[in-house]
Amino acid sequence: MTITIRVPPPLRACCDGASELSLSAPTVRAALEQLERSHPSLYSSICDETGRVRRHVNLFVNTSHVRDRDGLDTALAPGDVLTILPAVSGG
Amino acid sequence: MPERVVLTIGTKKGVFVAQASNTRRRFALRGPFGQGVGVYATLIDTRGRPTLYASSCNAFFGMKVLRSTDLGKTFKETKSAPAFPKEDGRALANIWSLEAGGDRKDLWCGVEPASLFRSEDGGDSWEMVPGISNHDHARKWQPGNGGLCLHTIVRDGNRMHLGISTGGHYLSEDGSKSFTASNQGVGVGFAPDPFPEFGQCVHKIARHPDAPARLYMQNHGGFPERPDIGVLRSDDHGRTWRSIAKGLPSDFGFPIVVHPHDADTVYVMPLDASTRTCPGSAPAVWRSENAGESWKRLARGLPKKESYFTILRDAMTIDELKSPALYFGTTTGQLWIGRDGGEEWSCLFESLPPIHCVKVAVV
Repeated sequence: MTITIRVPPPLRACCDGASELSLSAPTVRAALEQLERSHPSLYSSICDETGRVRRHVNLFVNTSHVRDRDGLDTALAPGDVLTILPAVSGG
Repeated sequence: MPERVVLTIGTKKGVFVAQASNTRRRFALRGPFGQGVGVYATLIDTRGRPTLYASSCNAFFGMKVLRSTDLGKTFKETKSAPAFPKEDGRALANIWSLEAGGDRKDLWCGVEPASLFRSEDGGDSWEMVPGISNHDHARKWQPGNGGLCLHTIVRDGNRMHLGISTGGHYLSEDGSKSFTASNQGVGVGFAPDPFPEFGQCVHKIARHPDAPARLYMQNHGGFPERPDIGVLRSDDHGRTWRSIAKGLPSDFGFPIVVHPHDADTVYVMPLDASTRTCPGSAPAVWRSENAGESWKRLARGLPKKESYFTILRDAMTIDELKSPALYFGTTTGQLWIGRDGGEEWSCLFESLPPIHCVKVAVV
């Protein structure tokens, strides 16, 4: 159940410069829980202390936004890519 | 090493550091540091080797605390920032105040939603202070225009004064274990009861370290029908307050600053309450040398017209040299210096991002 997490440039300092991380998790929520343990600074940049994904952070499983699937309960399959992206900034 | 004057300037686009010799003739600017996001609080910690701290309000990725041990040449994030316990249900929205504590590495941090945090290791780990953060009143406080923020921390041994907008003035006399709303004489213009127990929109509190019983407050004034609530003084450790606004063009404003060598000398920056810009579009700092009994306008060198900026609550400060200089930063990005205690003003930097806060230290 290995999946890839793509880390955006502003957050790579939270994981020693890595642009990708690999881990095994059955859902997006489980993947975030693993990040909370392994990379707490990265996790706290994605989720606030209540566990909610920050308002201006978007999570995609492959090309689908998790809000269009099952939110944090979206299932992950081997080879999936979980992409973390800041929302568009500007106006 | 000769004395240096160091300024930290928190802006909408990060923190800047300006440095000069003690003549203050020319300031060299460094920065911006951070991720180009808002900085609402800085601290120049002069206990031992000078250390600079800055909050970093990242709307995308949350709040960070930045630290510099090389006098603002570089900044790095501390290992963690204040965060509410998971079961609390609140999430940090901003960091509004950073203050040095009693021990060498002791720091205090006021945040939004209004709560207090403490670090005992120079900002690498933080604990919420329950005495105020979980106060019976805490869930009844309402956000002001800037949010529900704990923006002022004034320490005096075991005594601690907090300014909360809108919560009012809270006083601890047991080393921050417990806090009491202490707002007798602190009014509001936005509720039927002009003097409630709590819920005031305190903008800033200041004191002189040698006169701990004397406190000054810039409260949210500007209500014609309640003219005596904006600029206040306490002579009993903040238990009771009275108006000292007589003689000012407006009792609305944000910062209030005390002279470093004279507890009777206090400075405010009156603003028009509706536009929150300087009355008559002509900025001026007002100084009292008798603890607010009378006021003098200080504007030599400042624009005489067509200036429409705001000076936010932490955007005015004063250094501790023998003849101190005042500094204020504007929401239009100018940083002004008022030499000789504000008698003569000039603009140090004309085109910074909007300025949230200015701190100064002689190191």
